[in-house]
Amino acid sequence: MEAVLKMATPWLILILEALVLLVVALLHVAYTTYAERKIIGHMQQRLGPNRVGPRGLLQPIADVVKLVAKEDIVPSGADKSLFYLAPFISLVAGATSLAVIPVWEKFALANVNVGLLVILAMSSLSSYGIILSGWASNSRYAFLGGLRASAQVISYEVAMALSLVGVMLMAGSMNLSEIVKAQVASPFKIYAIPQIIGFFVFMVSAIAETNRTPFDLPEAESELVAGYFVEYSGIRFGLFYLAEYFGMVVMSALAVTCFLGGWAGPFEIPGIPFFWFLVKLYALIFFYIWVRATLPRYRYDQLMGLGWKILIPLALLNIVITGLIKVLV
Amino acid sequence: MSLTKTIFLTEIAKGLALTLKKLFSRPVTVQYPEERKPVAPGFRGRHALVRDPETGRDRCIGCMRCAKVCPSQCIYIETERDPETKRRVVTKYEIEALRCVYCGYCEEVCPVNAIVLTEFYEYVGYTREDLYFDRERLLKNWDEFIVTQKRPYFNPFWRPRGIPEKMLPAPKRKAEGV
Repeated sequence: MEAVLKMATPWLILILEALVLLVVALLHVAYTTYAERKIIGHMQQRLGPNRVGPRGLLQPIADVVKLVAKEDIVPSGADKSLFYLAPFISLVAGATSLAVIPVWEKFALANVNVGLLVILAMSSLSSYGIILSGWASNSRYAFLGGLRASAQVISYEVAMALSLVGVMLMAGSMNLSEIVKAQVASPFKIYAIPQIIGFFVFMVSAIAETNRTPFDLPEAESELVAGYFVEYSGIRFGLFYLAEYFGMVVMSALAVTCFLGGWAGPFEIPGIPFFWFLVKLYALIFFYIWVRATLPRYRYDQLMGLGWKILIPLALLNIVITGLIKVLV
Repeated sequence: MSLTKTIFLTEIAKGLALTLKKLFSRPVTVQYPEERKPVAPGFRGRHALVRDPETGRDRCIGCMRCAKVCPSQCIYIETERDPETKRRVVTKYEIEALRCVYCGYCEEVCPVNAIVLTEFYEYVGYTREDLYFDRERLLKNWDEFIVTQKRPYFNPFWRPRGIPEKMLPAPKRKAEGV
């Protein structure tokens, strides 16, 4: 009995940690939607949600309740099994990446040596959800959205992966905790300064990767109604929304770990070891929202041109420069 | 656009600066049921027949000018001669508010300032009949409206601007607030 307990304890702790991470992440995602509506509202000189609870703070909860209570409609002619599966692929792929993010030195759910690759793989997988939902919906709008998403995600995936190569070269590791430690030991403390080109390419392609304005062509309200998830309703629609915000949180967290020094900050905050991580994370999420409130959507050929003609060559150039410096120094 | 401007994304930075500035400005939203914007004088809202403070009845003389001028033809008036006094008596004065376009011609043309579009605009009905105002209803509308106003109340359409004084009918020239 004792032996069994001894065997099971690390697993139980892991499950508990995973649950804590999931709940905290879900809360963050829920309140990112609230923050987005509120911030964009004020940037457009509106008020944003302010009816549910004080200052509208309970709005995300009301939204979830509404979405759960709504009817779950499957369009006729839809590929049912794929239609049901698609939002889960998006969500699971989006949320799994969180496991490898080191929130602080002692809290990385899965401290794997190929953490960076896991995140890249997962963010590519999440586009399957989008493509499948576009295919399975039996709707032109959804199909066009899915096509756009696949092309966009594939081309920006390349730029994003290449922009992270510079970080790998400098840190000499793909383990995210190792990257943070290498950053703290480096002369600038953060990689955003020596890797400024890589950071820029990463930020732009991360916005494209999560399908957010100005690269929200798969959704494109003004031309494709809602793009790949037009036919979804109720909580399945909510899952896509959740996946999008999960993607945003994951990409911000990745940028924090790879470029902004992770949990390390200018000074220690006693009792809250992940304080600086959260501060940086919120700043980046704010940046995402800020960009959305400011820029209009790209045209499709401009999007492709930007990805292939500017971002990928820039990222390659960045790798060459980083490699040269690494060899010379 | 010069190359340096393109490389350093100055236009995007300008846009971001603008949105950031607006983030700290006051929202322009009016929280309608709690806050209301002040209604401009002469706002053309719900119809009413002015209740004359002396006679306690409406002032309509049945001249039919409002019914004639109405672009949507939504005013219905019937008159008859009083056999004894030979005066014209209005027997029916009805307005179909759902067809009204709120142009205000009726109150402008009325020689005795009997009809008025009040500044009250929050009225609804569940049926068409609810918004079909007969004479009693129009008088009631006036009573409901006038208690919310500062006395004497004077509607700008009662003496329309831009028309020479001598072209106006005498009661309109002499019109005073109610």
